[in-house]
Amino acid sequence: MRFFMILACALSLPGIAMAADHGPVFSYATPVNSQGELSFDTGIFGRSGSRGSQLSTGSSFGYGLTPHVTISAFLPASFGSGSLAESRIISGSEWSAGASWRFLHSVTSVGKRIESTASLGVVVPGPQPDSGVLAGLHRAPGAAGSLAAGLASRRQYLWAGGGYTRFAEASGDRRPDTISWSGVYGYRPAKLRRGYEQWDYRGFAELTGERTGRVLKSGVTLPGSSTTTVWLGPSVLAIFKNIAISGGLQAPVFRDSSDTIYGREHLRFAINFSYLKYSSHTSAH
Amino acid sequence: MKKLIAAAFFALLPLTVRAEYEQVNLTVFGMDCAPCAHAIHVSMKGIEGVNTVDVDLNSGLVVIKLAPGNSASMRQFNQAVEKNGFTHKDAEIVVKGKLTGTTNAPVLEVSGTSDRYTLSPSANSQDIASLLGKTVTVGGVVPQAPKGKLSDTLRYKTITEAR
Repeated sequence: MRFFMILACALSLPGIAMAADHGPVFSYATPVNSQGELSFDTGIFGRSGSRGSQLSTGSSFGYGLTPHVTISAFLPASFGSGSLAESRIISGSEWSAGASWRFLHSVTSVGKRIESTASLGVVVPGPQPDSGVLAGLHRAPGAAGSLAAGLASRRQYLWAGGGYTRFAEASGDRRPDTISWSGVYGYRPAKLRRGYEQWDYRGFAELTGERTGRVLKSGVTLPGSSTTTVWLGPSVLAIFKNIAISGGLQAPVFRDSSDTIYGREHLRFAINFSYLKYSSHTSAH
Repeated sequence: MKKLIAAAFFALLPLTVRAEYEQVNLTVFGMDCAPCAHAIHVSMKGIEGVNTVDVDLNSGLVVIKLAPGNSASMRQFNQAVEKNGFTHKDAEIVVKGKLTGTTNAPVLEVSGTSDRYTLSPSANSQDIASLLGKTVTVGGVVPQAPKGKLSDTLRYKTITEAR
C-alpha cells in the first residue's frame, strides 16, 4: 500500500505547493506530514490585474515517508488570461513534485516547536498554454528549492522562508528565474486555545515577495521583463480534527514591474481545503 | 482426559493475574494544534488493547487507558508519539507484572511484551521482599529516554500484590 502511494505521488509529478496542509496560505512554513500520513489539499488561487484576472485551481497530495520527510505532488489548472508575471507564490499552470525534509526539529516543551524544513522539487509545464508575455515561449522543466524556519506554539507562529526556481532553456527561450520569500506571523487568541475536538482557529499576517528575472525569447532577453513585488495581507485558518479550511487576501505594498508588459496586478487571494489522513499503524512490540 | 484438563484450565483461569499496562500518561512535547492532537489520538487508538485516549493540547497530557487482557508495549506508545514528530517527557504508568530479581535489585517483567524494568523507589524504599516472585501492580514513572530508545528503569511510587 505504501509503495503504491509513493508511486502515485511520484507519477503525478506536481510541485511544491505553498497552500498546503494546515499552515499559512501564501507563505513558506515548516510543517511536514507525520509518518504514514496522507494529505490532500485543493484550492482556488486568484490574481487580478489591469489586464484581466487569472484563476487557478490546484490539488496536492503529500505522504509522510518518515516523521520528517514528506513527498508531495501538485496538479494545477488555470483559467483566464491576466498577462501576469511569473509567480511561485501563487500557483500557475506548472505541475510539480518534490520532497520536504524537516532537518531541524526541536521539541522540548509543551505545545512548542522550533524547526527548519528544506524542500526540493521539479517543475514541469502543464498542458495549458500560458498567457501574456509567457505565452509564446518554448517551455522546459525547471527545479525549485525552498527553505523555511520558524516557531509553532499554542499561542503564536512565526515563520520565515525563501525559495528559488530556475527553468531550463528550450529553443532559445527561458521562463524567468524566480526568487521568492515570505515572513508570516500567526496568533491564536486565548479563548480559542481549547480542546482538539472543537474548531481550532488562528489568524496570520503574511508578507510575501518575489523577484522574477528577465524573460529569454529566441536567445534575447526581453527588456523590462524583470519584476519585483512585495505583498501583504491577512489569512485565517480553521481546523476541525483532520479537516482544515484557510483563506487569505494580499495587496501589493511594493511593485517594480513593467505596466506595458504585465499590467498592474492589484489583488491576490487563495482559498484552500485540506484533508489529513493519519496512520494508526505501529509495529507490535 | 482432555475435557478434564480443559475444565481444570478454565477453573484456574480466574486466579491467573495477567501482566499488562493498565494506564499510561504521557506529557507530549510539540503539539500546537488540533491535527497534532488528532494524530496522537489516532495513533494511540491504533494500538491493540487501547480503550480510551484523552489528549489535552494545553497541558500536552495524553491519558491512555487500556482494556484488560491487552499486550500493548511501551515501545508502541513511544512509536505513536515519535511517528508524528513529537517527543514525550517521563511516562507515568500503572502496570501489572511479575516481580523478579532480588530485594536489592528488583525487576518487573511485563509478560506478553518484551518490557522489563529495573525498579527503583521514587521516595522512601518499601520492603518488597515478600512480593518477590509474585504478580504485582506498580504505579510509577518511566523516565524520558533519548529519541528511539526506551528507558529500562521504573521509579515506583506504589507497589502492591495484584488481585
